[in-house]
Amino acid sequence: MMRRGLIAALLAAMTVTHAADLNRALRELLLGQPPAQPSAMGTPPQQPQQQPPAERRPGELLGGLLSFVAEPPYSAEEERNIGRTVAGGLLGAAPLVRDDQLQRYVNRVGRWVALQSERPDLDWRFGVIDSEDINAFAMPGGYVFITKGLYRRLGSEAELAGVLGHEIAHVVRKHHLRLLQQSRALADLGAAVGKRMQGGSPLAANFLGNFWEVFARGLDKEAEHEADRMGMVLAARAGYDAYGLPAVLQEIGHLSANDGRVAFLFKTHPHPQERLDHLAEALAGRPELPEGKEVRQRLHRVR
Amino acid sequence: MRRPWVGGLTAAWIAVVSSAHAAQGVLLRDESLRAAASATAAVTGQAARGNVVEVLARQGGWMQVRTNGRTGWVRMLSVRLSEGGERVSGADLAGVVGLGTRQADPSRVVAVAGMRGLTEQELRAARFNAEELARLDGYAVGRAEAEAFAREEGLAPRALAYLPAPARNRSRVNTWEEPQP
Repeated sequence: MMRRGLIAALLAAMTVTHAADLNRALRELLLGQPPAQPSAMGTPPQQPQQQPPAERRPGELLGGLLSFVAEPPYSAEEERNIGRTVAGGLLGAAPLVRDDQLQRYVNRVGRWVALQSERPDLDWRFGVIDSEDINAFAMPGGYVFITKGLYRRLGSEAELAGVLGHEIAHVVRKHHLRLLQQSRALADLGAAVGKRMQGGSPLAANFLGNFWEVFARGLDKEAEHEADRMGMVLAARAGYDAYGLPAVLQEIGHLSANDGRVAFLFKTHPHPQERLDHLAEALAGRPELPEGKEVRQRLHRVR
Repeated sequence: MRRPWVGGLTAAWIAVVSSAHAAQGVLLRDESLRAAASATAAVTGQAARGNVVEVLARQGGWMQVRTNGRTGWVRMLSVRLSEGGERVSGADLAGVVGLGTRQADPSRVVAVAGMRGLTEQELRAARFNAEELARLDGYAVGRAEAEAFAREEGLAPRALAYLPAPARNRSRVNTWEEPQP
């Protein structure tokens, strides 16, 4: 806490001007406007970069280090654009499984679960990606992916609902956006102690890299635990057996950490048993969650 | 075959035939064996932390287990499924990807033939794929369709609060029976 406070103070002192530049560049990127740069092609810039001094919101002065108490300062449109950018990148690494019925099925289950959340009307998108990895991903704005490797291990629709509920929770709580804010803050700090950045374009260039960094590092452990608690409840709200998600965690929890298919998952998440222990603790002494349906017959099987 | 709690396996059998899912676990906490999958069901016996159990079935948050010759229902989250339930091959055992290594060596990852998952490097190198994104958009499902889909299986929405974070925000193994300080 003290360290965080120190960084925040440093940031406030050193990056007031940079924060404005970087933020402008990020907005340009996210809103799809061409970053107006000195033209190398002989075409004059559409509009001279005569920006008024950007208004500075308190959260921006601290470069987002307060992001865990404050709402990330992205508009819905910006959030959507971040999500699309990252989703398109993930699909570049692993395309959708070529099975229309499967994809439609996962979208029906996912949307039904998402309807029970605090953001029912996002343009939710769900996809099964063609990878033997065992993992699932959420991206800002309502993009959720599950790998074929994980999907194949599911035994019921309730288990799918639990996994999707966990990812939906990340979106609802904007966990990635909050972490992105933090990494941006750290980038700001680096720029401040190093050489001055010019025009903010370095951030634009590094934006996707920063986001992959978020994925590669994984979220805060508490964010994962929160998503587990919410995932169980979201599935239960949707009428499913609440224990689908724990069942999946048990199923993958006994896979060896040396198994390449779970290496990424285990690296970016607390160990499944730790997550199960957390759920046990969260459930202890509370009224039992109502019984729900497992829905085994309808689960769409993949080859 | 797909579920680990398909019953009837023994430890010896698992040791020899590693290609099947084990339905075996260990109790993480002292537990009462109950006659049915409910906290209000009659207690038929006790089982101790560390006891090896065979998992016969799961129902909601409960598992039917057999331990020391007795059968009963215990809370699912009191059972840790044992390693070895997964198909294990020699290549797996070679142990290739170091957990927690920030920069995994891609050549070492590849060494698990056919088992390699998505890697950080693959993600970083990936090109934005607009075509796949458009395909994804084509599968979008609206509210009405989702609600109709839910009704087919009699899934009805229920008002439930999220679970609060545990008071002590740390995961501990033996928490069921602990009094709150």
